[in-house]
Amino acid sequence: MYQIPRAEWYDLTRATNWTYSYVTEEEMFPEEMSGARGIPMEEWETYDEPYKVTYPEYVAIQREKDAGAYSVKAALERDAYVDRADPGWISTMIAHYGAIAVNEYAASLAEGRMARFAKAPGNRNMATFGTLDENRHGQIQLFFPHANIKRSRQWDWAHKAMQTNDWASIAARAFFDDIMLCRDAVAVSIMLTFGFETGFTNMQFLGLAADASEAGDHTFASLISSVQTDEARHAQQGGPSLKILIANGHKDEAQKLVDISIWRAWKLFSVLTGPIMDYYTPLEHRSQSFKEFMVEWIIIQFERQLADLGLDAPWFWEDLTNDLDVTHHGMHLGVWYWRPTVWWNPAAGAGPEEREWLEEKYPGWNKTWGKCWDVITDNLNNGREDLTLPETLPYVCNMCQLPIVGTPGNEWNVQDYPLEFEGRLYHFGSKADRWCFEQDPERYKEHQSLIDRFLSGQIQPADLPGALAYMGLGPGEMGKDAHDYAWAAAFKKQAEVA
Amino acid sequence: MTNLKDAYKQNKVGPIFNGGEVAQAAIEAAEWDNPDKEIIVVDKGAYVRISAEQEMIITRASMEEALGREFLMSEIEIHLGSMAGQIEVTPEQIRFFFEKTL
Repeated sequence: MYQIPRAEWYDLTRATNWTYSYVTEEEMFPEEMSGARGIPMEEWETYDEPYKVTYPEYVAIQREKDAGAYSVKAALERDAYVDRADPGWISTMIAHYGAIAVNEYAASLAEGRMARFAKAPGNRNMATFGTLDENRHGQIQLFFPHANIKRSRQWDWAHKAMQTNDWASIAARAFFDDIMLCRDAVAVSIMLTFGFETGFTNMQFLGLAADASEAGDHTFASLISSVQTDEARHAQQGGPSLKILIANGHKDEAQKLVDISIWRAWKLFSVLTGPIMDYYTPLEHRSQSFKEFMVEWIIIQFERQLADLGLDAPWFWEDLTNDLDVTHHGMHLGVWYWRPTVWWNPAAGAGPEEREWLEEKYPGWNKTWGKCWDVITDNLNNGREDLTLPETLPYVCNMCQLPIVGTPGNEWNVQDYPLEFEGRLYHFGSKADRWCFEQDPERYKEHQSLIDRFLSGQIQPADLPGALAYMGLGPGEMGKDAHDYAWAAAFKKQAEVA
Repeated sequence: MTNLKDAYKQNKVGPIFNGGEVAQAAIEAAEWDNPDKEIIVVDKGAYVRISAEQEMIITRASMEEALGREFLMSEIEIHLGSMAGQIEVTPEQIRFFFEKTL
């Protein structure tokens, strides 16, 4: 039977705009949901998605992807890789699933918003597939860790983390709610699919897959790299939106949406992906440093794409490139020190050989971050674990919800960037975090950071055990050092040999 | 990497595959379909980055030749984890490109 080539019918069949007779266009596409910004319908109809897919193609291809990932899992299940994997790598997986899996469902809702409310028919079509993609990512990233619940309660946090008020969950939700759930369809296409998915998901789903593959974890590598093949397609929804905004005199608005998304994504990745790549992944399996991955995927690849679409580098670009050397080291030190407050076991990654690697990748590490780890190491080796555990909570930023960090050592430079708005004093960890707030104070002003909640008496008893209970962390869930301080003991042995 | 601020000023485009026979075939196809260009392949284990300056085309015909079987251009998505540059997909070819030259 003769079939008409797709190129000859695709544009016609996906052009599903029609003339409304029972409702007005404003009722059909409320501005709050659609975000057309006064740009007329004819302009949105020029939206040309670069990646055209039909439903039969979509189903056939997704079936192949799922068959690939699930068959790798099935084939390797008897191998029980998880039972012999390095504890640092286990922590990597547990942190990943908790931070990501349930947020995939939130992403499905964001795609659903575009599928219904985008004025561009091409956007609606691609977002229909995007909705299904994200549903798949939620399911598959809950199913894989579920097999390990028998091994530790921490694996259950794949499902639990986002339902709690753990500080890391508050931070992740604050970011994802902002770019996915509380934006109009056009802003979602730019902040989620362009800003986040053509940029940062590459770090977590391909960069980390390279480490997984090195670590011999082929199940995890095939899973996350399979997820990223969906991202590569539906991430293409933002580009055409950007082109339409720029062509219709809204470049400043487009730039602002991209910049907020990039900065907020960067902060989240500095606490999640940075420590995983540079500290948790066993030294011999690290394919590149976090900074090298960031340079490859964000600084070179993503920034080049921005330039091609007619946008500028974000105003904070120089700050961001400088921060690649420092921020995630501070975040890691904080996460490790406050280890009872997370659902995974942070690996210190500060043994003798690891410190050599850190100094090589980040010259000056020993005389800054290393000084803090020296004190921690001495305390552990002198039987004073108590001095390496927290008694209070760290001050967190009112934008990224993460600790306000600086570089330790002789040039200790931690700085608060405060702002008073409508009588309330806010604290931010950087100029860019404060700038994000200033772009839309109404959006952010009511949010209470974990510390705000603590100080206003919402967390009782007002001490660390009270905070741990508030965060939903029970026995067997609170993090401890992944290697039971073997890395610190290695220094003691070194000293004895010498 | 001394000047990260300007590191993006380059023009390499192309697909990044998460392995598989499609990635190997695409390397061959890229060589055939872009005869005047140097095709650079960087293998990171979990992903393979294939790139060329400014524009790279991979045709369905070359993919079929390299794979020795029928190939639908849309199948490329099964292993396409990411890409440098903008893309344009038709049933007969996939094209990676930059509009501007930096």
